[in-house]
Amino acid sequence: MNIKRYLFIGPSLALALAMTAPNTALAKAADLPSWRPVASEKLIKLPANYLKKSLDHDFAQSPLSGAIQDADSEIGLKGQTLEDLASAIQQADGELAVELRHQFLAQKREFITLMKRKADLRQRHMLTKQRTLEKLLKKLGREKGAMTPARVQLVSQQEKARSRFQGSLAKVDLTVLSAPTVPESRYAQEYAGNMSAVEALVAAISSHPMNVRAQMAGQPATKADFIRQMLADTQAGVAILEQEQNIIGYMAKLVALDAMALSESVMDAELGDSDLPSVSSPASAVKYFVN
Amino acid sequence: MKKIFKMALPAAALMAVTAIAVPVKADTLANMERERALLIETLLDGEITPAERQVRIEAAQRRLLDLERMVLRDDKLVGRNTPQVRRAFANYDLTFLVHASAEKNRAIGDTWLSQLGISTQSLMSAKQGRR
Repeated sequence: MNIKRYLFIGPSLALALAMTAPNTALAKAADLPSWRPVASEKLIKLPANYLKKSLDHDFAQSPLSGAIQDADSEIGLKGQTLEDLASAIQQADGELAVELRHQFLAQKREFITLMKRKADLRQRHMLTKQRTLEKLLKKLGREKGAMTPARVQLVSQQEKARSRFQGSLAKVDLTVLSAPTVPESRYAQEYAGNMSAVEALVAAISSHPMNVRAQMAGQPATKADFIRQMLADTQAGVAILEQEQNIIGYMAKLVALDAMALSESVMDAELGDSDLPSVSSPASAVKYFVN
Repeated sequence: MKKIFKMALPAAALMAVTAIAVPVKADTLANMERERALLIETLLDGEITPAERQVRIEAAQRRLLDLERMVLRDDKLVGRNTPQVRRAFANYDLTFLVHASAEKNRAIGDTWLSQLGISTQSLMSAKQGRR
């Protein structure tokens, strides 16, 4: 019994130290289930609102999501065990109480291990999401970056040409196609017919609920704005997670200290009951020499 | 199962849209330039009579009118930074001959020559000589 208790202190302390070490999660990263989203062109082309849903859906299908759910349910069960043990300790006394306290500490240690595992999985999720969003943002930026001065000038010329064409369309039609010998071409006839169909479809697309432009704080947001917001949210999640890991570290330290306290209290009790001779001073033995 | 179907359907629909949206490849600019070259060739052809030239120009003008509109409406050309596209949009009057001529109520030949800097006055004042 004593040996078991003494041994318990060592792992508890080791666990406490492991919890406080910041980079142990990364060392074990290879063992964790993964989520591998791809920052594809298709993802970039999705509407901003749908982008988040698509990423969330992709994550929900991944082994990493399943592992987080499993860890959650295990933590729930372990929490129930801890509650049961805590109430049992209050009703027990003597050897049984010590044994239950020992069990309580062991269960706490397992609870912390589970919490740590869940935190590692969540960290993996957050970091993967962050990397994906950064890649998406970079790709979007690359598309914008491709607008060199020469290309900007070309687009401007094309816009001017189009507006000049639209402005002179009626006059050109009147001049070129007014002659009775010149029939309207098949292209011109079909273009006019198709144009009304195109306009009707464009109107339907623009009023479609899934095509509503993403808004941030009541203002219409671009796709880059939306991704940046998602990135900021993810980074906030990572920061909160780091704080939670600190909490787990403190919990582990507390378990280690509880284990030391339990060990010490048991040792004190045993030393009190032992048959060790009390240390006597020479002065107290003088009576044996003086007649 | 139903949930998976619900989630997969929009993605499949979007993929279908992407697939359908891939246009049939037709280089509108190359077609227009080919027709424009033929029209200019007709303008400069010294072997045909003026009446014949007029008939050919009118026929070419109708074809070129549509081809110019196809180029001007072609979204695929927007921002396509190639020498051909840059050159085409650098000078509206020279590239879109039919539209520019009709806009200014001028003959196609006049528009083309004036864009090249050749006018009746400059021709009349020109002197014959050896270069």
